[in-house]
Amino acid sequence: MKVTLFEQAPYRFLPSDFEAHHDSVCSTPYSLTTEAGVYSSVVDYIDELMTGARAGFDGISLTEHGQSSYDLSPNPNLVASAVAYATETERLSTAIFPMGRSLGKTREPVRVAEEYAMVDVISGGRLIAGFPVGLSYDASINNGIPPIEVRGRFEENLELILRAWRDRDPFAWNGRYGQFPQVNLWPRPLQEQPPVWITGIGNPRTMQLTLERGFGFNYFGFAGAKLTGKRIFERFWELADQLGLERNPYRMGFLQTIAVSETDARAEKEYGAHAEYAYRKGLGAIPPEMLGLPGGVNIHGVKAMLKDPGDFGMYGTMRTAGFGELADAGVVIAGSPATVRDQLLEYCTTYGIGNLHAMLGFGSMPKDLVQKNIHLFATEVLPHLRTLWQDQGFAHHWWPKRLGGVPLPAAQEHAPSAAGRTQAS
Amino acid sequence: MTTTERAQPSPREETVDVWNGRLRLRVKVAGQGAPLLYLHGSTGLAWDPFLSRLAEQYTVYAPEFPGTSAGEPDAAHVIDDLSDMVLVFEEASRSLGLSQPVVVGHDFGGMLAAELAAHFPALPGKLVLISPLGLWRDDLPVATLSAASQTELPGLLFHDPSGDVAQAALAFPEDPEAAVEAAAGMVWSLGSTGKYLWPIPDRGLRARLHRVAARTLIVWGREDRLAPAAYADEFAGLIRDSAVALIDDSGHLPQVEQFKQALTRIEEFLK
Repeated sequence: MKVTLFEQAPYRFLPSDFEAHHDSVCSTPYSLTTEAGVYSSVVDYIDELMTGARAGFDGISLTEHGQSSYDLSPNPNLVASAVAYATETERLSTAIFPMGRSLGKTREPVRVAEEYAMVDVISGGRLIAGFPVGLSYDASINNGIPPIEVRGRFEENLELILRAWRDRDPFAWNGRYGQFPQVNLWPRPLQEQPPVWITGIGNPRTMQLTLERGFGFNYFGFAGAKLTGKRIFERFWELADQLGLERNPYRMGFLQTIAVSETDARAEKEYGAHAEYAYRKGLGAIPPEMLGLPGGVNIHGVKAMLKDPGDFGMYGTMRTAGFGELADAGVVIAGSPATVRDQLLEYCTTYGIGNLHAMLGFGSMPKDLVQKNIHLFATEVLPHLRTLWQDQGFAHHWWPKRLGGVPLPAAQEHAPSAAGRTQAS
Repeated sequence: MTTTERAQPSPREETVDVWNGRLRLRVKVAGQGAPLLYLHGSTGLAWDPFLSRLAEQYTVYAPEFPGTSAGEPDAAHVIDDLSDMVLVFEEASRSLGLSQPVVVGHDFGGMLAAELAAHFPALPGKLVLISPLGLWRDDLPVATLSAASQTELPGLLFHDPSGDVAQAALAFPEDPEAAVEAAAGMVWSLGSTGKYLWPIPDRGLRARLHRVAARTLIVWGREDRLAPAAYADEFAGLIRDSAVALIDDSGHLPQVEQFKQALTRIEEFLK
């Protein structure tokens, strides 16, 4: 199993009653911050990612969120490139995994292809390229994309980027959402094609695209994987069966918030308040209408969600949730190394997960506590996870070649033309 | 609704093929007399007492905007540009054989009606714009209905969101299946029309309104919290032959919230 260190870059010094008065996205008053608070929230975050790289994680993963107080990372490639260079100079063989640039919102897909190419070059071929559709508020409120166009833009932009990496000759792109008279990247990625991962929240259509195209699929357990995981993972593997595809665990990435201490009791004492901060003031404080602006999800999806909101887990009550509720729902796995290890092993074995993204810094955690969590996890938990799926005959097709991955042949990557092909629905 | 005084004739449904067969618009039709084309707002077409009363004097044609018809959500993806959509509605009007119809539009439909009249000045006999969108002033921001929370939405639509009229209009069916259908339909209507409104409901109409030749009535609720009533004078200042009717105690849906008052003003104008 591959295990990456994942963190977001929350502002760590919000007032204790923040969530009672403010949302965590779009309208959040910047007057709540201080210069020193912003500086340390961002620089400590990068320090912690480097701590993880030095501690032997297989990858460093990060996300993109604009106009949000829970992730000061409007473009993950800025931090990714800093970590790429630093790890290269320290000869650390860790994957650089932005999860990554949202393609539903971008009006500059060529720039995204260029940025990723640069990160791949700087890291010497260690990039894993994530492409989420993007959150509704980020695509449509922060970036002004009509919700009904977000999906179509995502699909078109993805085709353009893959082609821009692959084609040896310059080409013209006449898309529905973007027109470019000449696409000819300098530089291209060092890898023939960086591994591509799509993040999904449960939409079968996204899962299907991921499987059909041979991409990796990331699922984030923010809403409480004890509530949602069985539904999501089984849906994914059933779709794989229908498509006649191998249940290769390396297709699947799972992001989980984890807190390790010497004992279970100590874990709750040390991390409980920070976990509450993270989820009450983060995801829990995103208003529901900002996550599902009309048009962003097609009418069949809207009906499915209204009839069965189970994919949202405990999101609806997160704004006031206590640590106990977060732990019960599986939003956070906290405890001694043995407790955490047992839960993760059982979980990853049951659901066929071959990549774990361990979120070890969250909420208001100070740097020394994040580093404690990273070290305990790396020494007491990680070695036990790493052997999962070993010697079971699965090849990891979704990992950089330089780091032991076995990329799929490029021929599998089908190259459709742009014009009139992308049909949003 | 409490304002219903007479039995409402139920409209019949027609379809009209446009855009070289790539779109089929469903049109609710009722009444007799001269043609009246009604363009609905961003939450979708609801056949209400206002339309029934208009159908007593006119043949009312109320097309459903592409994407908003039940069972045909993907029609929202056929057209991308507002100018093409204006052509679609001009084609529809021609295919239906409407000769100089009165064109009435509300909210997004008001914007579409104004665009239609600006692109094809001879098309409407008369024009009625009820709280139309399409103009923007930085000092008078127009709210985005589709980004509103469940608690904000009633207050954006109605002057008195707790009143009987608002409550009846906002009520969802009791049957859970039907409620899901209704909610999803409304969400998708907002998405389908939002394509031409998002993120700022300004596609350059201001520059085109001088082309409107038809006599025009601009109807606005004085207490409209979605698009402030000051926009009525903006429209009037840009449309040559126009008058304004402000409706008391009304929000964004004067033809619903103050049905009689709005109807009286519109009927006077159409005489």
